[in-house]
Amino acid sequence: MKDDFLDFVRQVLDHEVVDSNNLPCGMVDDLELSGEPGGELKVTALLVGPGAWTRRLPSGFEGLAAWVFGTRQTRVPWSEVESVTERVKLRSEAEALGLGRADRRASKLLEGVPGSG
Amino acid sequence: MKNWGEIFLGILTAMGGFVEVGELVFSVNSGAKFGYRLLWVVALGTVGIIAFCEMAGRVAAVKGQPVFNLIRERAGLNAGLVTLVAANLVNLLTCTAEIGGIALLWQLLSGWPYRWLALAALVFLLVAVWVLSFQWIERFFGLFGLLMCTYLAAAYYLKPDWGEVAAGFVPSVPHLGSSSEYLLYAYFVVAIFSSVLLPYETYFYASGAIEDGWTPGDVTLNRIISIVGSVLGSLLAVALVVCGAEVFRPRHLEPQLPGAAALAVSMTLGRGGLLAAIGGMFFAFAGAAIETALSGAYNLAQFLGWPWGKFRPARTAARFSLTWIITFVLAALVIMTGVDPVSVVEYSIVFSVVILPFTYFPVLVIAGDRRVMGEEHVNGWFAEAVGWFFLVAVTLAALLAVPLLIATRGGQG
Repeated sequence: MKDDFLDFVRQVLDHEVVDSNNLPCGMVDDLELSGEPGGELKVTALLVGPGAWTRRLPSGFEGLAAWVFGTRQTRVPWSEVESVTERVKLRSEAEALGLGRADRRASKLLEGVPGSG
Repeated sequence: MKNWGEIFLGILTAMGGFVEVGELVFSVNSGAKFGYRLLWVVALGTVGIIAFCEMAGRVAAVKGQPVFNLIRERAGLNAGLVTLVAANLVNLLTCTAEIGGIALLWQLLSGWPYRWLALAALVFLLVAVWVLSFQWIERFFGLFGLLMCTYLAAAYYLKPDWGEVAAGFVPSVPHLGSSSEYLLYAYFVVAIFSSVLLPYETYFYASGAIEDGWTPGDVTLNRIISIVGSVLGSLLAVALVVCGAEVFRPRHLEPQLPGAAALAVSMTLGRGGLLAAIGGMFFAFAGAAIETALSGAYNLAQFLGWPWGKFRPARTAARFSLTWIITFVLAALVIMTGVDPVSVVEYSIVFSVVILPFTYFPVLVIAGDRRVMGEEHVNGWFAEAVGWFFLVAVTLAALLAVPLLIATRGGQG
């Protein structure tokens, strides 16, 4: 594999996404592509959230997984990607991109418990 | 290089794998049924778990990637999701059995009602994991789990025929009376092999390496810790087999309760030894319960990209924290229905072998990938050969586990 070549399926899809503070904020659950037949095909965004990955499951399990995990997904423009290594690092904080909302909601359940930080 | 106190990560991981309630009953029972003829399986499994823990720890130290990150990345979403569901079911079943084991031990000491003691065990575990940092969980449960070494002393004082013990390490098929006994022997081979190679040991160990902040400089420490922890756990398993062979086999008894193993200690070391053995079992079961509940949370968080880790404040890793809390609560609720903890763990051990190939394949592929690990940290020829040998072995065991479970009616013969 050439160094300047990015294999999106092996090197980007299903990799962890971290924000500018290195806080995990999801996985690359799907990719948004744009282009026309015969023209240039471009990756325009990362899709993060259960709404993106449940669609990739076999049809019988898609509905069940969507019922358990929900259908929310967040679109992160490719221009927000700072680097691709073992993780996909973003330029901004998770909250600014609409990522990590479920954790912020869940953290309210732990509010007031001594030692919850 | 980190403090040598990190050795407790290896000890706690091994305690949770080698001397948790199911392994304890399986080991003593295998000694009672087959004498020393299954010791080679313990030795074989020990080499396997050292190989895979070392690889998973090395990948975690060098690349900062835990096991379920690798599973998602390399096995893909669909196969990874199947592994996640199965792995967390095994974690829940094992956690259930450990809480039941703690309640049984406390009942042995106090005579109080089992269900209330299961509830007390739940409260103890919730408070311990909430209050203690990851490092103190390692040290506290790893250190006090060493009370299990009482079984090493008991095995020594039982004066087994050491020649016979040594012969047990040579792979062999004994001469048995009937085909059903051969099937039972095969079932025990698969069950002991999988109970030594329990997948949550690898999940916990690799996640623990990241909790402890390991870096590429800790690769040598990782190798030593994975060897020392697993060899110690393996020696304890061998001691339990000796106890089964020397105490229960001559009396034609098949111990089904975890507390029965302590009988061998009380016969050789008296009351003090008995109390130390019960203490050791308590810390080993509690350590295994914590290992499985945290593993469940690690797996889910790493697969879905949630913030995770005890090193983060609970509210920063809120879904991770809620997951281990829910795992403990569900496990306690199951055990309070009155289900037999040993039956639960026997099934969980057999089903865990089915997911072993899915767990170990991504670890082996990444640890052997020169582009990912670099020349310095990639698998050498020896690690690669051992890794592929065990991948074939766990795949065979995975194919045989369920048919043998059915054919022997869950090991009843």
